This record gives sequence, structure tokens and C-alpha cells, in this order.
Amino acid sequence: MTIPIIELRNVHKTYSTVAGDFPALKDINLSVNTGEFLGVVGKSGAGKSTLLNMINGVDGLSSGEVLVYANGQRVSVHDLNEDEKALWRGRTMGVVYQSFQLLPMLSLIENITLPMDLAGNFKPRESRERAMELLRLVELEEHAGKLPAFVSGGQQQRVAIARALANDPDILVADEPTGSLDSVTADHIFDVFSHLVADRGKTIVMVTHDMGLKSRFTRYLTITDGELEPPSVEDSKPKRSRKK
Amino acid sequence: MTTMPDKRKAPRQTTPKAAPQRVSDASLEAIIEMRGIIKRFSNAAGEFTVLKGVDLMINRGEFVSIVGKSGSGKSTLLNMITGIDHPSEGQVIVNHNDIYTDVSESARSKWRGKNLGIVFQFFQLLPMLTLLENVMLPMDYVDMYDFDERPKRAMELLKLVGLEKFANKLPVLVSTGQQQLAAIARAMACDPPLLIADEPTGNLDTRSADTIIEIFEHFVEQGKTIVMVTHDPSLTSRTHRNIIISDGELIDETISRGLPQLRHRHMLEFTKIAERRLYQPQETIVSRDEKLDHFYIIRKGEVEIVLQKQRSKETILSRLGADEFFGEAELVRGGKSIANVRAGKTPVEVVAIPRADFNRVMDESPITVDAISKIVQKRLQEHRMADPRKR
Repeated sequence: MTIPIIELRNVHKTYSTVAGDFPALKDINLSVNTGEFLGVVGKSGAGKSTLLNMINGVDGLSSGEVLVYANGQRVSVHDLNEDEKALWRGRTMGVVYQSFQLLPMLSLIENITLPMDLAGNFKPRESRERAMELLRLVELEEHAGKLPAFVSGGQQQRVAIARALANDPDILVADEPTGSLDSVTADHIFDVFSHLVADRGKTIVMVTHDMGLKSRFTRYLTITDGELEPPSVEDSKPKRSRKK
Repeated sequence: MTTMPDKRKAPRQTTPKAAPQRVSDASLEAIIEMRGIIKRFSNAAGEFTVLKGVDLMINRGEFVSIVGKSGSGKSTLLNMITGIDHPSEGQVIVNHNDIYTDVSESARSKWRGKNLGIVFQFFQLLPMLTLLENVMLPMDYVDMYDFDERPKRAMELLKLVGLEKFANKLPVLVSTGQQQLAAIARAMACDPPLLIADEPTGNLDTRSADTIIEIFEHFVEQGKTIVMVTHDPSLTSRTHRNIIISDGELIDETISRGLPQLRHRHMLEFTKIAERRLYQPQETIVSRDEKLDHFYIIRKGEVEIVLQKQRSKETILSRLGADEFFGEAELVRGGKSIANVRAGKTPVEVVAIPRADFNRVMDESPITVDAISKIVQKRLQEHRMADPRKR
């Protein structure tokens, strides 16, 4: 039996603007299982980033509930106060964005040790060893001492992924992580994600506008005007049927 | 009881990790001094030189923009100042300290934390930290200010950039303009004397860009020095100094200010061939009816254009100051000087470009010829004077 790790129940998010209320998410019900690599595909403005912000509690919801079962705890994310949420998020979820946001004056390894040092979960020597292990995971250990300016965009994004994994979260959420990378480099990022899911038991939720990526997920949904839709029948056919 | 073998190693021989050292002959006014900076890169295609002997002095309190085409070396130049990259040859002195000679990477990193604020085009805020926490980060990193004082100081900086309401928000919940403002607040967290910005407004709308320049101006008023690489002409017009880099070399600032319409490659050509000349007060620079063989731009001091009519007193037709030029009409026309030109009451420094080179570039640059004639017309009108030979 599959175990849900994230559950969204009747989630609504409405933004008030000068032009009136704008419903960004409409009655979202979603269950994500442990070990899934879930893709949510939709156009710009469809509600993708808002959905991620509901899951990691970065933005508040208008009604509904988000439950996350991780670290042996069941947490109703939006019942936590800001401080509790930040602490919980730091332990439970890694985030990866389109722009890599590495600190330019710190070496790659320092960029990874930083969140560990901030969280204080590891001793300095441990955090360095762990950062090195994460760099090995994304195949960048020989560049550990370099500053971000001296590695490629794809390599910087791999460092950002390693950094997101620094505190060993069960869940990774990614907002267009390959949006500014060429297709070959993007492939490499997907390889890293697939490895994290298959071999490390991580759960990943990624949003993208790129329909071409849907075959890379273990499951995908589309989002249109704030509503989730299952894939069409055509798209649900087995993808890699063997030639007879 | 068994004894474990002693796994402790002999004390490691460590090389001294020297912090940047004070340079005895460093200029007192300068906060940045670059001396003969050469930067070479090697790649599969071979070795190429990105900076070809850069000498640059930036004084305390200056607001400086650096412009140049893509690939001209401007980001490399900035990386030499921030210590993100290191020169192949030459010396970089920042705040009187040589930041490269015998300085380890980690010592430079600590030094940088206290002496430099850096702002980039993409704001590099940590996504999992609030704006306030992002601003506190450098204070934690270099261990400046008391632990309890840090949030207060970070809040003051956020207030300064108008973001106190958003202090506890994560970067993803504020606009890109606000993210850049937070990045600026973070750059100033340890109160560095020098702020380095690489295309700080490159990713923003004009209104946000304007706010950022206003904040930069505020820091400059407080005595900070700001060096900024930018593409945006509306920003360069608001800085004290605009340095142009072309093909790895700096353009003489007198030439770029005097002839802003020239292409960068022509400015660079003039920079290389121009002679620097110094004249004492009242010394003649060009005599009337002398064949003009140079085009002059004034670097320093004031020049008097004097008409000496026969048996009458001399008339000063015009006075020209820094960045103004003379000798143009005659050169373009191929004639002789129409008046005497002499140094004013203080010594005068000029940049002199040989006639043949000046004419050749003018032939290639009708826009400049046009601009020069407009400037001359305007100048003549301003001084309510006409060419005496046309009278």
C-alpha cells in the first residue's frame, strides 16, 4: 500500500486585488505518495507556483487544509505559526527555484554548508563532510572549492539541489528548476531527481510550464485556471511500451 | 585493557594565511587602485587576454559606472576588485590593502565580508530565509555586531530600502524589485565602505531601477563609494564618473567625455595615440595663423581663446574648461587657427590627438562631425560671437 506524504484537502486560495477577488486555486484535492516524482504542468498564471506555496506553507491559504506526514509527525502546515513553519520547513522540505540563488562570494561547498550551519543540526566538521557527500551525489565534488561564477548554469543548479538537500528533507519542491537551462543540462537535472526518488526515497513535487517534460515524472497532473485535472486518456497510455 | 593505537597525526605544517596587507605607497584618497592589471584566460582554443594592462584609481566617495560592450572585460574587471577572480599580473589595492599578494582565499573571503558589499543582477537571496534573515546573513558570516544587535540593524537597513513591512516574508512572496532592494540591504549589512554592483537594475522595470539609484545616491551622500557595471544610459548619467572599457583596455575619460558620440573602438584608438601635454599659466598653446596639427581636449584647467587685433587690446573670445575641445573647425576645414589659444590662470593639461588620425576617424563617423559642429555653433552663440573672419 502506498503511503501519502502530502495531502491537500479542499484548498482554496483567493487573492484580493484592486480589480476584485482573483481565485488562484479552486478546491484542490491532492494526495502525493512517498517516493513519487509528481509533475504539475500548466501555463503561466494557472496557479502552479501558488500550489507549491500552499504545500510548503510559504503563502497562507484562504480555506482548506494541507497535511504533511514526515519525520514521524503529522503536521497541518497552515496551523503552524510563522516561526514553527520556518523550523518545520527547514527540516521537512527542500526548495529549488528557476534561478539558483547561490551566494556568489561563497564557494560551492560553503553554499551547501550554510543552511546546515544556520539550522545547527550538524557540527561544523559533519556539515562539511555531508556537503561533500551531497556534492558527490550531484557529481560536482571536484569543483567544491570553486565560486559559483566559475561553473556552468547547470552545475549551479545542481549545487542548489544539493543545498536543498542539506538538512536531509523527505520532500523536495521545485519551481521550474530547468527553466533557464538547455535541454541537455535539464536532462542531467532530471537524472539527479530520478535518482533521489528511486534510490534515496525522496518525494518530489515539481511544477513546470513545459508539457514536453511530462514523460519524466512518475505521475503528472495538469493545472488550468486554478483547477487540477488528471491526464487525458491519450496521455495515460503506457509510455515506454516495448517493441514487439 | 587494550590500548588503541594513537591515530593522532603530527601537527600539520600550515602556511601562514595572511590577511591583506597595507600598501605603504597606496594613494590616500583612493579606495581602489589597480596597477597594471593583466588577466589571461586559457581554454581549448588557446590563451586570450581579457584585461590588457588596466590602471585605474577610484577615490573615496565616488559614484562610478563602468560600461562596455558584452565581452569587453567589464565583469572581469569587477571580479578583480571583489576578489572573485584574481589577476594574472599587477596589483589591486582596495582600501589601502593589497588583496592578492600572499593572501589566502579564506582570508580574502573574510576581508571581503567586512570591506565590500556586492550586489548582482540576480539577487541571490536564500529562498528559505526571510528578508530579515537574508540581511543578517553577512553579519553572522563575518561575526560582526553583537548577536542581539543583528536583527535590529537588519531591520534598520530594510527600513532604509522601504521594506520593513516585508521583513518576515520569504523572497518568493515579494516582487523582483523588492528582492533586489533586500539584496542591497544585505550588501550593506556590515557597513562596508565600498559597494560593488554588477548590472543591479538589469532585471528590473524602470521604476524599481529608479528607486535603487536613489538609494545608491543616499549611500554616496553618506560617504560610501559605489562602483557599478551597467548597460543603462539613464543610470550612467547619474554617476560622478563613467569608465568605458573596450577590448580589455580603459578609455581615457577625457576623450570619452569630450567626444561621447564616438564608437568605443575609436575612443580606444584615440586613447592610445593621444599625447598628454601640460602648459603653464598664460603659456601659448596654439598661435593664430599657425597650421594646426592636433585636436585638443582639455583635461584640467581653463583655456582662453584670444583675438589680438592689430594695434588694439586683446579680446578674450571664449574660455573653455575641462572636457571641452578646440582645434576642431580648423582641422575639419584643413585651415589655420583663427585665434590664439593659451592657458588660463592655472596650469592646463590637454589631450592632443594628431590631425591625420582625427580626420580619418571623422571620415568614418559623420555623427561625430555633426555633433562637433553643433557644439561649436552652440558655443559660438552662447558667447555671442561669430567667427571673426566672417565679419
